[in-house]
Amino acid sequence: MIFAFIRKYAAIIGFLGLWEGLSRLRVIDPLFFPPFTQVVAEIVHLLRIGVLGPQIKASLQRAIPGFLLATLMGVPLGLLLGSWFKTLTNYLELPLEIFSQLNPFLLFHIIILFMGIGEAPKVTIVAWTCLWPIVFSSMSGAAQVNPSLLKSGRAFGLSRLGLLRKITWPAASPVVFAGIRLSLGYSLFMLIAAEMMGASSGLGFMVQRTQETFQLDRLYAAVTVIAFLGLILDASLQLLGRAFLYTKLENYVNTPGD
Amino acid sequence: MSDAKTLSPEPLIPLESPSAAPSEVAAWLGAKLRRYGILLFLLGLWELSGRAHWVDQTVVPSLTLTLKAIAQMWQRIDLGSHILISLGRVIFGLLIGLSVGAPMAYVLARAWPKLGQNFESLWRVFGLINPYCLFPIFVIMFGLGETPKIAVLAWVSLWPIFFGAETAFRNVNPQLLKTALSMNCRSWAIFWRITLPASLPAIFTGARIGVEMSFFILIAAEMTGATAGLGWIIHNAGAAYQTERIYGAGVCVVILGVGINRFLELIRQNFLAWGEGDGIPWLLSSRASKQPTNRLVLWLCCLIFALVMALGFWKIFQGENLILSSPNP
Repeated sequence: MIFAFIRKYAAIIGFLGLWEGLSRLRVIDPLFFPPFTQVVAEIVHLLRIGVLGPQIKASLQRAIPGFLLATLMGVPLGLLLGSWFKTLTNYLELPLEIFSQLNPFLLFHIIILFMGIGEAPKVTIVAWTCLWPIVFSSMSGAAQVNPSLLKSGRAFGLSRLGLLRKITWPAASPVVFAGIRLSLGYSLFMLIAAEMMGASSGLGFMVQRTQETFQLDRLYAAVTVIAFLGLILDASLQLLGRAFLYTKLENYVNTPGD
Repeated sequence: MSDAKTLSPEPLIPLESPSAAPSEVAAWLGAKLRRYGILLFLLGLWELSGRAHWVDQTVVPSLTLTLKAIAQMWQRIDLGSHILISLGRVIFGLLIGLSVGAPMAYVLARAWPKLGQNFESLWRVFGLINPYCLFPIFVIMFGLGETPKIAVLAWVSLWPIFFGAETAFRNVNPQLLKTALSMNCRSWAIFWRITLPASLPAIFTGARIGVEMSFFILIAAEMTGATAGLGWIIHNAGAAYQTERIYGAGVCVVILGVGINRFLELIRQNFLAWGEGDGIPWLLSSRASKQPTNRLVLWLCCLIFALVMALGFWKIFQGENLILSSPNP
């Protein structure tokens, strides 16, 4: 088992070792590329003096509500558009495409005009970015449900709500979940950029500040923490998905080309 | 050509039929209305909200003011070159992503599949690393100027392309490969005739996701550290409270985004038609019609794309030289 673990993560360990070695041997300038152990030591140090913790908390407090808001709005909207209101979807296709292309950073200045500076614009940016992958994947997931399943559901006398709950939702959930997972990636992605542009706390702010003050140890520490955070969030979402969603149904419910 | 004429559906429609023409027009109008109706309504609402003073014009300038701002920017600050520069950066990043990602995927999936499996976890981690916080690190590596921006964009488009290509290269139908082997094909023939065509649609899908994300990140990157491009215009206008310029540049970004999306869809439908759709649920137009496009239109689109690409590269190069040659950048 340990052997399998090492085999699986050998490349990561090798990469970190290479980084460490090249930097220690001064093949690459340790001033610009501090060795990995030094970065880890910096992370531990920052955690201990209580600098890093509040920044992580600040970032998560923006990313998670934005992401949840987008999920709570996007999944029902997409499912309803894909199942009950198919005609409406035809009418809405172009406006939705345009909305999804509306870059959250275009909206940044405008959102600030409406909401002032503070937490609200950042949460809105995250929510806006996350919303569209979720809406589109829920829409197409609901639209691609095997029609014979829907027909047999109707034959058994399910109501519209029952069809949505018993058939469309379980069948669409893997696709919906793929959209949600993509969105979670986007949420951190956009949040860090938003924080780098205008914030006074958070990991993105830390990247920006350490870059300006040339504290490269801390810059690498912040980048490593962001990458690690992304990994943890992605892994935990996958665990949640495996526990709660009907991912096992995927193989025989959504057979492509059926 | 004569074959094409006999096959064309023209004779099937009776030209003299009196009712055909109006109903066709009506159907065409109906389809267009269905497609653009809500958009037109929203644009009208936007215009009206400004005219009727429902919202402050300084916060939400009306559509006409926005269009005027675009015209003004075109004349005064050379909006055209900014658009070309932004597009050029995205395309440059995409080309790097393609030329690194696809061969890398081939090597790791086909040439040394065992080694490739060992590297899988590392690529997953790299793919999850936030491209935006790599920007300062790329600045350290490459210095200021265009290179770090293009490196960020290349990084963004590299991973979707690589993952798509790797999966596709691994899952080439073994039946086809065996057939080719039994027919004594040389390895390059197998590559050109089977492996590559089988994987191109997936590579292309990756490229589309990459372009989509590049566009998001490009505007942000230009807002923080650039002296040209649409993001820079937005940032500048935001700092100077020229709201109609923000809206104008925003309209340009949206049009570009939708346009690129449409162009890639056109290419996929016409040149990579053997792929089974691109299966990206979050790009809506992947459900577009399967009608064959007019060849002339198609080649015209490709020509325009090539022209834009060349002009964009030229502008970027020019700007880079300008910065490098000026004594006080």
